[in-house]
Amino acid sequence: MTRIEVIDLVVRYGDTTAVDRVSFAIAPGELVTLLGPSGCGKTTTLRAIAGLETPYSGGIRLNGDLVWSAQPRRNIPAEKRGVSMVFQSYAIWPHMTVFENVAYGLRVRGVSNAEIRSNVARVLDMVQMGAFADRPSSALSGGQQQRVAVARAIAFSPTVVLFDEPLSNLDAKLRAEMRVELRELQRRLDITSLYVTHDQEEALAISDRVIVMNGGRIEQIGSPEDIYNRPVSRFVADFVGSANMIEGGVTTVNADGSVVFQTKAGSLIHAAAGQRDSTTLALRSSYIHLHPDEANAIAGTIHRRMFHGDFIQYVIDWPDGQLIVRRPPTELLEEGSAITVSFAPEYCVLL
Amino acid sequence: MRDPRVWIVPILILVVGALVLYPLAFLITESFNIGDPQIFPPEEWGAGNYIQLFEEPRVIGNTLLVASIATVLAVVFGFIQAWILTRTQIPGRDRLERLMELPYYMTPLIGALAWGVLLGPKTGLVNQVWRSVGFSSDFFNIYSPQGIAWVMALFEGTVAFVMISAAMKSMDPSLEESSRVLGAGKLRTALRITLPMVAPGVLSATIFVFAEMLGSFAAAFVLGIPGRFYVVTTAIWESTLSYPPDYGHAAAMGLSLFGAMLITLGLARVIMRHGSYATITGKAFRPRPMDVGGLRYPLMGIAWGYIAVAVILPLAALTLTSFQRFATVIIPQMQFTLANYRTAFALGSLGPAFANSMILGVTVSSVAVPVIAVLAWIIYRTTMPGRMLMEYVVMIPAAVLWAWINIPIPLYGTLWLLGIAYFTVFLPLGLRTIAGVVSQVDKSLEECARVCGASWVYQMRTVTLPLLRPGLVAAWLLIFIASVRELGVSVFLMGPNSKVIAPSIVSSWLSASSELSAAMALLQTVMVFIAVAILFRVARQVTGTQA
Repeated sequence: MTRIEVIDLVVRYGDTTAVDRVSFAIAPGELVTLLGPSGCGKTTTLRAIAGLETPYSGGIRLNGDLVWSAQPRRNIPAEKRGVSMVFQSYAIWPHMTVFENVAYGLRVRGVSNAEIRSNVARVLDMVQMGAFADRPSSALSGGQQQRVAVARAIAFSPTVVLFDEPLSNLDAKLRAEMRVELRELQRRLDITSLYVTHDQEEALAISDRVIVMNGGRIEQIGSPEDIYNRPVSRFVADFVGSANMIEGGVTTVNADGSVVFQTKAGSLIHAAAGQRDSTTLALRSSYIHLHPDEANAIAGTIHRRMFHGDFIQYVIDWPDGQLIVRRPPTELLEEGSAITVSFAPEYCVLL
Repeated sequence: MRDPRVWIVPILILVVGALVLYPLAFLITESFNIGDPQIFPPEEWGAGNYIQLFEEPRVIGNTLLVASIATVLAVVFGFIQAWILTRTQIPGRDRLERLMELPYYMTPLIGALAWGVLLGPKTGLVNQVWRSVGFSSDFFNIYSPQGIAWVMALFEGTVAFVMISAAMKSMDPSLEESSRVLGAGKLRTALRITLPMVAPGVLSATIFVFAEMLGSFAAAFVLGIPGRFYVVTTAIWESTLSYPPDYGHAAAMGLSLFGAMLITLGLARVIMRHGSYATITGKAFRPRPMDVGGLRYPLMGIAWGYIAVAVILPLAALTLTSFQRFATVIIPQMQFTLANYRTAFALGSLGPAFANSMILGVTVSSVAVPVIAVLAWIIYRTTMPGRMLMEYVVMIPAAVLWAWINIPIPLYGTLWLLGIAYFTVFLPLGLRTIAGVVSQVDKSLEECARVCGASWVYQMRTVTLPLLRPGLVAAWLLIFIASVRELGVSVFLMGPNSKVIAPSIVSSWLSASSELSAAMALLQTVMVFIAVAILFRVARQVTGTQA
């Protein structure tokens, strides 16, 4: 059974189509991320599932039940859909205490006071906010508000939780910590989650599967490794991670499916797989070596070196212009030195 | 359960639309009536009333003269005050900024009375002193176009200060800082960066204030009528209340005024939208005030000087006058008495006038706030068709509401009529106030309640209304204050059995003594200031919880 099923969803604002025939399904316990640049329709899709936007056509099923469809006309209001949501702005009600915020979903459902108290205490402990129950929520820091928002979203044990860029308002360090905690919590409670973010690193780190969106359409659905190693389009290769786009054309297709790609400057590159009509070769910066130890080896010089701490980024001059290469900080080479760049055919993705 | 929005919304739209559009339609019809002005609907039609306006250009000339002087004064005062209070480090800035709101609450009526007491020909307190030290003429005669403009600028021009200081505050200080870092001095930065950035704000404030001055009534009424100096608003009053009343002429004047104000305001809006660099982000920056060194104290003096002429001096003059038998500042001639206050309360109509004003204030605000809250919610939170049209309709009334003067239902001369008229006139004020609060409440706070499982009614009760409450209380108080001080509409619609304060003060001023009027004016001011004090407390709470 699927928890969330989106079928050919179209959302329009006047003449602009924000979401254009989007379909996907999410299994119980899965964490799926909608990833894309701002304006790609990811948040609109999420809000349509929550019942906060009215789609134009298509259908949405939650736990097998049709909650929205154009034909037959069906629109279950947001409050009857039984999903929960963490908002980008947290949407913590400033006129209530932390306890009242978290208890809201339970009160609406007419749960007894004793049960509310034990449930709220339980989820507040989960997000390490147990000591803050009686605080007025207007006195919380950003990170604390975020925790309360998560506690509120899971307090009434929803089957589906939607996350709308929940970490985008936190500073980098806290964001990295919360990412781990959220994933931990989601695994422990087995919550089916749909998560919207524009941060590709975050999407890769926490998801079971990633849906990359662009211009209202889905570009690719796959596991984080899939999306990173086997992008299906130039957009995905460019948006997720750091990649070099090398222009050229395929000269030979071998019997085993491997191909030879000739760059504009004439260098020949062997790729493990590819179509005859490909004109671009995508190559991850991290998969390029600065020693001649892989099958494809081409001479170049180091133009610029930038020390990032966790890695070093080199700009290499090579026959086809410039190449971005990321190496571990231990591989320190001088600017101006002549080197050979090399990379394995398996990491050459033809688009 | 059916969603209650289905029936609430159309009813509201109908009622509000009728309240605003009926008087407008009446006015338009009446302005083309060239037959017997008492007969409605008209029997003879023609543009005669409009042509008449131009045959007698004196009133139009007066209006333009007074409005122009007042606008220049208001903008100059506003600019200086705004600059001192937002951009310089002077001691006691915060207190001064709060005091700047008082002239508006003092009302132009009270201001005009007070300045009449101070600078009236011969008897004015300042003129008394002037003559007693040997001069043979007055120091200044406030019963003059310049005098009227002075009072209008002080008590109605504070909006210029508000708009200009908003423009100055919304300017990102880093724009000036980058100029300094690139090597430009303070003066160069002020001329090349600061001034161009605030210029659109100043320009739109100027136009906005000019429109307001065109429709200004109280100062021209109190200080112009005794010398038979008429501007458009007082001329309208003259032609409706003279005998026989000339409604057609009045309607033509009213509509022309309304048109002029509408065009001017539209212009201000266009300028604001197209020319303003400073307010694009809508973000509130905390401008870093300039260190003005030794100039601190002179600048503080200027700022306090404004408060002195707009608040302290008028109130002191009224107080001094109200406790005397014959107002004077020459100490040996002073005769102190409580008689004026005794008369104020004893005077047949005055007790009821106070009571009526209170009743109207409480009732009108209590009815208006919930209605306007729902309207604001519809206009700014839903995608309902026609909601933008509503916004414009609701903004119409200000200038034309005395059109209720001749209605076919038997309400004339009752409090009901005043109540309905107040309600309609204060729609724009209420809507602006509440809309500000509605837009401050993040939409996701409401959406979150829905996603948590709350119905519309439950969400309204537990989230929306509690969040709006401080704003609604503030709107209630503002409408209450506006009702208690209302003059422009009341003076047309008040009947012998429905007296209210402000027109009563005016008639006492025009027919009885200035000492009695001063006492009545102070009583009204006290009422308004009590409400203002509560308002400020509420406003502080609002900013406290949202910060």
